[in-house]
Amino acid sequence: MKKTYLHPLPVRIWHWVNAFCFIILIITGLQIRYREVLSLTKFKTAVDIHNFFGFLLIADFLLWAAYYVFMGKIKIYIPPLNLKKFFSGCLRQAKYYGYGLLMGENNPHHASSDNKFNPLQQTAYFMIMLVLLPFQLVTGILLWDITTFSDWIRLLGGIKIVDFVHVIIFFFSTAFLFVHVYLTTLGLTPLEHIKAMFTGYEEMEEHGN
Amino acid sequence: MKISIFSAWCAISLIFIMPDQVGAKKIPLLENAEVCMGCHSSKEADKVFKNKDRISVFVSENDFKNTVHGSLNCNDCHPTVSPETHPGRAFDSKRAFLKDASGVCRNCHTDSQLRAKPNHAYLAEKDAPLCIDCHGAHNVRKVSEWKFSLKGNQYCLTCHRQNISKTLGAGEKLSLHVDPAYLASSVHNKHACNDCHTEFTRESHPIKIFPTRREHSISLSDACRRCHADKYTLSKGSTHYNISFHVGDALISKGNPKAPVCTDCHGFHTVSPKTVFEILSGVPCRKCHEDIFKIYAKSVHGTARAKGVHQAPLCSSCHFVHEINFTAMTDRIRSACLGCHKGVENLHSKWLPNAELHMSVVSCAACHVPASEKGIFLQLVDQKTGEPFTQEQVMQLLGTSYEELSERLNAHGQGIDSYELSYIVKQLNKRGAGANVTYLGKMDVNRYSDAHQLSIKKNAVKECESCHKSDSKFFKRVTLAIIKGDGGMSRYSAKPDVLRSVVSALSSRQFYVLGGTRLTIVDWAGILIVCCGLLIPVAHITLRVLTAPARKSKKLEELRKGEKR
Repeated sequence: MKKTYLHPLPVRIWHWVNAFCFIILIITGLQIRYREVLSLTKFKTAVDIHNFFGFLLIADFLLWAAYYVFMGKIKIYIPPLNLKKFFSGCLRQAKYYGYGLLMGENNPHHASSDNKFNPLQQTAYFMIMLVLLPFQLVTGILLWDITTFSDWIRLLGGIKIVDFVHVIIFFFSTAFLFVHVYLTTLGLTPLEHIKAMFTGYEEMEEHGN
Repeated sequence: MKISIFSAWCAISLIFIMPDQVGAKKIPLLENAEVCMGCHSSKEADKVFKNKDRISVFVSENDFKNTVHGSLNCNDCHPTVSPETHPGRAFDSKRAFLKDASGVCRNCHTDSQLRAKPNHAYLAEKDAPLCIDCHGAHNVRKVSEWKFSLKGNQYCLTCHRQNISKTLGAGEKLSLHVDPAYLASSVHNKHACNDCHTEFTRESHPIKIFPTRREHSISLSDACRRCHADKYTLSKGSTHYNISFHVGDALISKGNPKAPVCTDCHGFHTVSPKTVFEILSGVPCRKCHEDIFKIYAKSVHGTARAKGVHQAPLCSSCHFVHEINFTAMTDRIRSACLGCHKGVENLHSKWLPNAELHMSVVSCAACHVPASEKGIFLQLVDQKTGEPFTQEQVMQLLGTSYEELSERLNAHGQGIDSYELSYIVKQLNKRGAGANVTYLGKMDVNRYSDAHQLSIKKNAVKECESCHKSDSKFFKRVTLAIIKGDGGMSRYSAKPDVLRSVVSALSSRQFYVLGGTRLTIVDWAGILIVCCGLLIPVAHITLRVLTAPARKSKKLEELRKGEKR
């Protein structure tokens, strides 16, 4: 067993702020859209909270982007250009989750600070962090003040389109949360990944070259 | 004229104040003219009626002798009067007495003779003027002998102060009576009659024939525009004008017979100063819109006005005076509200998110008439200009008539569905050669009358939940409102699900209300996506549980292998 420093402090801060914002935004988003199903606060309070945590999420996203760009680590989110290698990696990882893990095989991916994500994680986080989340933040800003941003909204096809994009990403984010939390329990112990996101260090098996 | 009537009263009254000689022999009055004049030459005596009216009994013998009746005897006209029984009859009023006395004239002047002259055509009518009203009594004269000496409007009033009327082509009766007192109090009291009635002079009195009183009103309103051209120009853009005159003067006959012209609000000869219209009792609109006026009178504005708050709006404050028009679904009403309620945008923005947007798509009445029935009004809007796309433009681009369009949009009374709604926009944008229309939604009260029932501020709707939920009743009533070129609006009922249908989503892509216009298919997609997110861990955990024995045996085998080494 060895301890590897996977998550520097800025990443850990970003992650937990991000997680907290996600949860609050999902709950308030549910209430705003499905008032007849969920009614924890007044509508206006839910909107105000949603707006506040939306801007907090934007700030947090900028923190994340600045850190990864300036530290030169953004590449860990970007899948390799060698598609053959990338797809075979994806296939191997999918096979592990779908069969190897069930049969007690070892994870074919060995995380390090420079190569944190397996190919499937890399694909998922690339889509989430560099495509879906920016879309979600932009559409959120547009919906926050549709009068000021009316020209932009028109350019994107109308408020119904902007709202559609925002809501669909909201559904995917909610679904992602369940999968993400479950995957965090697949470490050496069920809490190993979670502990690592607090301490920065993750305990993992040593592998020979 | 006064002399004539006066003389008649005197002569007839003489008969009634003669000493009572019950049972005496009847003596012809001619033989006893001196007896009659014994009393009726006196200017002192009056006859008093039951209602306290008084009339002098004086008869000028000289005046009488110079009349066309000068050769007649007293009892030629008063055959039932005898000195023995005179005065024997009592009358309720002076008018009743004069009416009775005028009946004497018909002994010689028969109805057929009188009606041969147009001016006497209405004599047989009830409440027609009496003979002595125009010709006098004892000094009877032809009207033409004396009326030319009258000056100004008195000349016309000679006849028109009388209760005269004429029957129009369609059988309606048109009063020709002009009350001198009202005329004197009107703002037009310095005008000569023929300032307005230009075709009429002392020498010429053309006979004008109108089929109906309505046609007469329209014709006379033309007189107003000669001086009030500015008001006329304003009124041409009004709903009243367009309903009454349809499109241009040539189509007057197609107009709504109830739509007002100048005289309907201002009257004919009683044109009042502006201040009269500025009090509740003087508002002319209530003549036709009494039901709405009653609602307004109970509103915060109506009650304030009744209490003397001069700033409180009247009908004209929102609908204007001559350029009267619809306000529903227009910026006019918003401007009217904000014109008086300065700074309300800032006040709203203190508690209402996106206040400017809310105030542009939710009518003031929707919130400030809390008990009103509200609904969503979809409006065709040109995306380039932001202006409403009019019914005329729709008809032109679709190449359809108003009747065809109405039939199509009425959808057999079932309400327009999302396919039809979407189809119209697609067709307009396809055929439009540059047209780029979409539906925009606004919230407003469903009934026009409700918009007049504004309440005090504390009663206004402030709860966001009233609208921002899918089961809000306000989204159950959807109307397609197509603005007409004249400012009016055609309303067609739409099915409530058009707001939630993916079919019509793109045709109303610029209209969205949080919670209220959710697309049903997106909700289902959301449920599916989230369920997948839940299902993946559940399925994987299940597989892990099921495969736990396999992992355990593999681990044991690895341990055994390790021990062997």
